[in-house]
Amino acid sequence: MEKVLDRVQSFFLDMSVLEVMNPNVISVRPDRTLRQVKEILRIKRISGVPVVDSERKIVGIVSIEDIIKALEGGYIDEKVQNHMTKNVVCLKSSDTLKEVIETFEKYSYGRFPVVDENNRVLGIVTKNDVMMALLAKLGLVYLHDERRKEVLESPDYFDRSLITGESLDKSGADFYFPIDYYDINLAGVGASKLRQFLLSKGVDPEMARRVAIATYEAETNVVIHSGSTGAIYCFIKPDSIFVRVEDTGKGIDNVELAMKEGYSTAPDHVRELGFGAGMGFTNMKRCSDNLMVVSKVGAGVVVEMEFRRNREGSR
Amino acid sequence: MKLAEILAELKAKVLANEHRVEQLQFEHAAASDLMSEVLAIAKPDVVLITGLCTPQVVRTAEVVGIPAVVVVRRESLPSETVEMAKASGIVLAATKMSMFEACGRLYARGIRPIWEV
Repeated sequence: MEKVLDRVQSFFLDMSVLEVMNPNVISVRPDRTLRQVKEILRIKRISGVPVVDSERKIVGIVSIEDIIKALEGGYIDEKVQNHMTKNVVCLKSSDTLKEVIETFEKYSYGRFPVVDENNRVLGIVTKNDVMMALLAKLGLVYLHDERRKEVLESPDYFDRSLITGESLDKSGADFYFPIDYYDINLAGVGASKLRQFLLSKGVDPEMARRVAIATYEAETNVVIHSGSTGAIYCFIKPDSIFVRVEDTGKGIDNVELAMKEGYSTAPDHVRELGFGAGMGFTNMKRCSDNLMVVSKVGAGVVVEMEFRRNREGSR
Repeated sequence: MKLAEILAELKAKVLANEHRVEQLQFEHAAASDLMSEVLAIAKPDVVLITGLCTPQVVRTAEVVGIPAVVVVRRESLPSETVEMAKASGIVLAATKMSMFEACGRLYARGIRPIWEV
């Protein structure tokens, strides 16, 4: 029994911090104001941010407690560099989960940046990240069908088409748009650009509309749900248009549920903007002729859509 | 119905692309605050009535190909929404009227829904 426990323990405790951390760190520069940090914390719903210099080297950290103090003390418009915590407790990239847990026990902080040997920020670890990493390791990964498993287990998961199974030369895409923003107010910029692009290539307006609507929904999902950045690729083929929208964010744990009309996990601030009606995937399905969604918790989402040119009975 | 008549009926003020008002006319209108719903139901040749005033409204209209948007319960709109409308060529107007009254008035004047039950 003890042996089994030992083995299980080492299975978890030897996990590298790189597996545990969130690599998508939201950081600020020292010359920003605390008020700007407050807005970032509010919009991104996080509780602290590392402060980095132009080489991404860590120089401090600001937490929500610092913001509360700044509001009370009336210095919210002052610069981050004057009020940040300068002695930041960091994790090293060589640390394991064991060290992560010990660090959490030793210090009462809510988050620890992970840095490389040059003090450059590689990621950040909160208790939530530890929990998610453990759950993922425990195998609580939703598998929605065998085909999905096959795709996820293949080493070229991100380089292979879900629909055709062919390897995808993304650099050969006719249209590429990086979804590199987090601001929900910008959601749809890529879809709108794609529509203009398709029209400029002489694609039938009704077809361009279908592609743009479905892409808009997929793009909005990346911005609202992934917590990461993503990309839109479009390939124009003789008898169809092929769109792939992917992100490297937190993933969907139950694809079938997410596909259900009316189901939404969008937060209130997004609903206030008219999103989160739970119609995203429904719209994608309706507009496209072939839709494939593959996701794994912690490994992002890939949506592929095929739009045939000779579609009959399109609305 | 001419867009100019629609806007007069709604007592709406044009905030972007006034020069296009005289060129457009509509038989159908759609009203919604849910952008996903607009994406789901809307056709290109409708005027959109909505209570939302964020830039998303304009972007959604653009993606669907809707040429005119009337925002209800408002006299003015955020400048980024107006700027986006100007850039995209979409006619943007605002009225203090409620959505219910705006829809009722247009229906009474013969504007039809996208599908009738």
